[in-house]
Amino acid sequence: MQPIRLTVNGDKHEVTVDPRDLLVYVIRERIGLTGTNVGCLTGDCGACTVTLDGRTAKSCSVLAVTADGSEIRTIEGLASPAGLDPVQEAFWKENGFQCGYCLPGMLLATRELLDEDPDPAEEDITRTIDGNLCRCTGYTTILRAVRTAARRAQHRDERPERP
Amino acid sequence: MTASTPAAGIGASTRRRDGAALLTGRARYVDDYRPHGLHYAAVVRSTVAHGRIRSVDVSGAETAPGVVLVLTGEQAARHAGPIPYFISPATRGGREVDIRCLEPELVTYVGQPVAAVVARSRVEAQSAAAAVRVEYDSLPHVLDADTALLPDSPRVYPDWQDNVVFAKTYGAGDAEEALHGADVVVSGEFRIARSTTAPVEPRGYVASWDATDEALTVHGSCQNPHQLRYMLSASLGLAESAIRVVTAKIGGSFGLKMQGLPEETLVCLLSMLSRRPVKWIEDRRESLMSGAREQIHRIRVGAKADGTITGLVNRIVADAGAMTAQAGWAMCNMSASTFPSGYRVPDCRVELRLVATNKPPLSAARGFGKDAAHFVMERAVDLVARRLALDPGEVRRRNFIRAGEFPYRTATGLNIDSGDFAGLLDKAQAAIDYPAVRELQRRRREQGRPLGVGIAFELTPESSDSPGTFVSGFDTTTVRMSLTGRVTVLTGVTSPGGGNDTGIAQIVGAELGVPVEWIDVVQGDTDRCPTGFGNFSGRSMVVGGGSAALAARDVRATLRTVGARLLERDPEACEVVDGTVRSVSEPDCAVPVPEVAHAVLTRAFAAAAEVEPVLESTRAYKPGNIDHRPDELGRIQPYPTYSSCLHIAVVEVDAETGKVDVVDYAMAHDCGTMINPDLVEGQAWGAITMGIGSALTEQLVFDAGGRLVSDRFKSYLLPRAGDVPEFRLEHQVTPSPFTMHGNKGAGEAGVGGAQAAVANAVEDALAPVGACVRSLPLTPPVVLDLIEEATR
Ligand code: FES
Ligand code: FES
Repeated sequence: MQPIRLTVNGDKHEVTVDPRDLLVYVIRERIGLTGTNVGCLTGDCGACTVTLDGRTAKSCSVLAVTADGSEIRTIEGLASPAGLDPVQEAFWKENGFQCGYCLPGMLLATRELLDEDPDPAEEDITRTIDGNLCRCTGYTTILRAVRTAARRAQHRDERPERP
Repeated sequence: MTASTPAAGIGASTRRRDGAALLTGRARYVDDYRPHGLHYAAVVRSTVAHGRIRSVDVSGAETAPGVVLVLTGEQAARHAGPIPYFISPATRGGREVDIRCLEPELVTYVGQPVAAVVARSRVEAQSAAAAVRVEYDSLPHVLDADTALLPDSPRVYPDWQDNVVFAKTYGAGDAEEALHGADVVVSGEFRIARSTTAPVEPRGYVASWDATDEALTVHGSCQNPHQLRYMLSASLGLAESAIRVVTAKIGGSFGLKMQGLPEETLVCLLSMLSRRPVKWIEDRRESLMSGAREQIHRIRVGAKADGTITGLVNRIVADAGAMTAQAGWAMCNMSASTFPSGYRVPDCRVELRLVATNKPPLSAARGFGKDAAHFVMERAVDLVARRLALDPGEVRRRNFIRAGEFPYRTATGLNIDSGDFAGLLDKAQAAIDYPAVRELQRRRREQGRPLGVGIAFELTPESSDSPGTFVSGFDTTTVRMSLTGRVTVLTGVTSPGGGNDTGIAQIVGAELGVPVEWIDVVQGDTDRCPTGFGNFSGRSMVVGGGSAALAARDVRATLRTVGARLLERDPEACEVVDGTVRSVSEPDCAVPVPEVAHAVLTRAFAAAAEVEPVLESTRAYKPGNIDHRPDELGRIQPYPTYSSCLHIAVVEVDAETGKVDVVDYAMAHDCGTMINPDLVEGQAWGAITMGIGSALTEQLVFDAGGRLVSDRFKSYLLPRAGDVPEFRLEHQVTPSPFTMHGNKGAGEAGVGGAQAAVANAVEDALAPVGACVRSLPLTPPVVLDLIEEATR
């Protein structure tokens, strides 16, 4: 067993982990944030996605010990006290989810994309979503949601986002 | 008279009520429940496809760290009886066997649960499970349904005389005679490989046995909480009143999570015996074992020279895998009875045999067998068109049941309530610009680039009722208003993730005359909701919505009576609108609903004198058209209503690699009145994508020993965003005369139509070489084989 420090959604945590523990289970069961989901444990579905030091990562494919000292953002950390993130708003507006199980990957990957490029090309949008499986939506509304979020991101400077 | 704000009433695309919880990660799926003292279970599964258990050695597991219980099949059988069937094959003239939560004697597939372990942690449970040693006396196994029908085949269940689970013939007229008189007869053998539903959330259960109160609480990812409670009571010998089943937020289901699976009873038994809360969440490998479909159809279809189909004979061999208490085995019934779909073919005979093999069982799957009928029927219609050199759209138009002919009784006995199938074809062809796409195809062919256009019609019988089973055609809802006007809707239908709670709230808001924000919907809790049947067969909005409307009307009537008294008006002259009771002729003469509710409940002997002071009603809704009295041919009519749609897929085939790309797709869809168009569209897109997956990439592959090889998402390939085009969706609304709101059920339509449209499109793309598509999925090697076979 080994102590590690993690900052999750701004809160500092110190937890003792087995070297074999996967980050996804440490986040879910030790830190108690269950918004990060498990769909495959093989890195294929993206339901376990978190942001690890600024980059999205599939937390089922990360050993918790290797994340020692890192800053993590989970789906719970996407909204701010002021309200939902524009990406969340766009997914809600466009019906970009049904059961919601895939949302950690869909939302955090979209956020990362728009942080890097507020005006992404179509191929980049598809590539971003391609790493995450959704069995419910058929992706059409997810792609629409990403585009809507991108439009909002671009217009944010000109006109304030409605809550 | 009802009214409501346009953003919320029936027909509005109200956004999902649970959106904020889902988008912020607050929604609780089954794996998110962690009661105090929680322990974890792992299941030991058979490693042979067929065999008798000789010994189970648990010594290594019992002494492993953290282990509190190891249970064998023999021990489990002392505490738990067989699991009752969701739909009993025996009552349909078929065969059944006892299904146990852990098999004590005879294993019939690789993966069958034979022992289980409870430990402090998931990892400890898994390591201990790996330490259980089971020895088997292997028996010969059979993995293929055709082989299983041979007289000398191994028998999956040794005391059966053969491997046939169930056999039945469907249809009417004289099909052989019709074929005899036809100008052309096309025939073919069509195979649908085994695929699976694969929701991203696997199945799971958390059982907590309270030894003091002798009460069991189960949280589960399950579509049918009340059926689960009954079946746990039967298999565990507990009173139903001692069991509470709560179906958590569900991460997709598609039939997989219908009730009847061995682990449901198992996890509860483990909790009772270990006296600890126990969680079991299946891993992806376990989840992928459940088959969704696997059939062979041998069909002959006769037609006149003008394309009129005159007769159809089909022999279906459906592969059940091993037996299951879940509803999955019964899907083949619908494959048979959905023929001849929406076409006028009075002379039709379908012979069905369901065959046991040594593969894992089928679980119910979106489409519920109807999907297979569409792949085959639509292939057959295309073969007729090709043989006669007619446009495939025109052949369909010629054979469709006409818009004026409804209700129309098909040869297999289904009484189709309403529709306009030619109208759907017009809309889909317009959406895709059919002449333009054919022109594109011509140009591409000149360049040697295969592009194909595939058309497929799909009829989706919905909201079924099967007499004497838990497949119920009605459901029940309570609408309850509190002192403050807050409304709680408790309904027997559940949501697998599609969001029908939003649609039900819209209906209640409209019927009750209050804003949708005042309404809470409670689903999936046997202690709170009225006895109901959960979700399957596109029923939730038909019967959940219908019963909610009836209950809401009762409450509205009381509000109106008492509100009118407060206003000193005649109730007949008042209405409940936007959260107020008001005079119809003087809208300013109004009183807020919360004030009326308060008066009903606090002034029962004054303002509410002579009124029964209850703001609550529980009502059941039974749609029309269902008729279980067998007609002269023994046919029953188990469906109130029939959705329909028409698909057009455009594909490009890479002749070098065999890869198929779906480049454009249109669907014209008719599910009658739409309660919430956004929810309907979401269902349709999801179903089409699932159909494209099983048409092109998804296949459960077993090795010669019956072991699942495609056991993860790297080898079982679900469509990703880059694999599907953005869909064009057109709506047509022919309201059902047999349901309260004219809605027909949405959610299943798409799977079979997409399989058929993609298959037809691939064949159309390869028409210049003369290839014939006979099987799904059309993976690159299969497509290359098709090309080679045709050019040989
Ligand atoms: S659970 Fe991590 S990618 Fe699927
Ligand atoms: S919404 Fe269910 S998996 Fe994406």
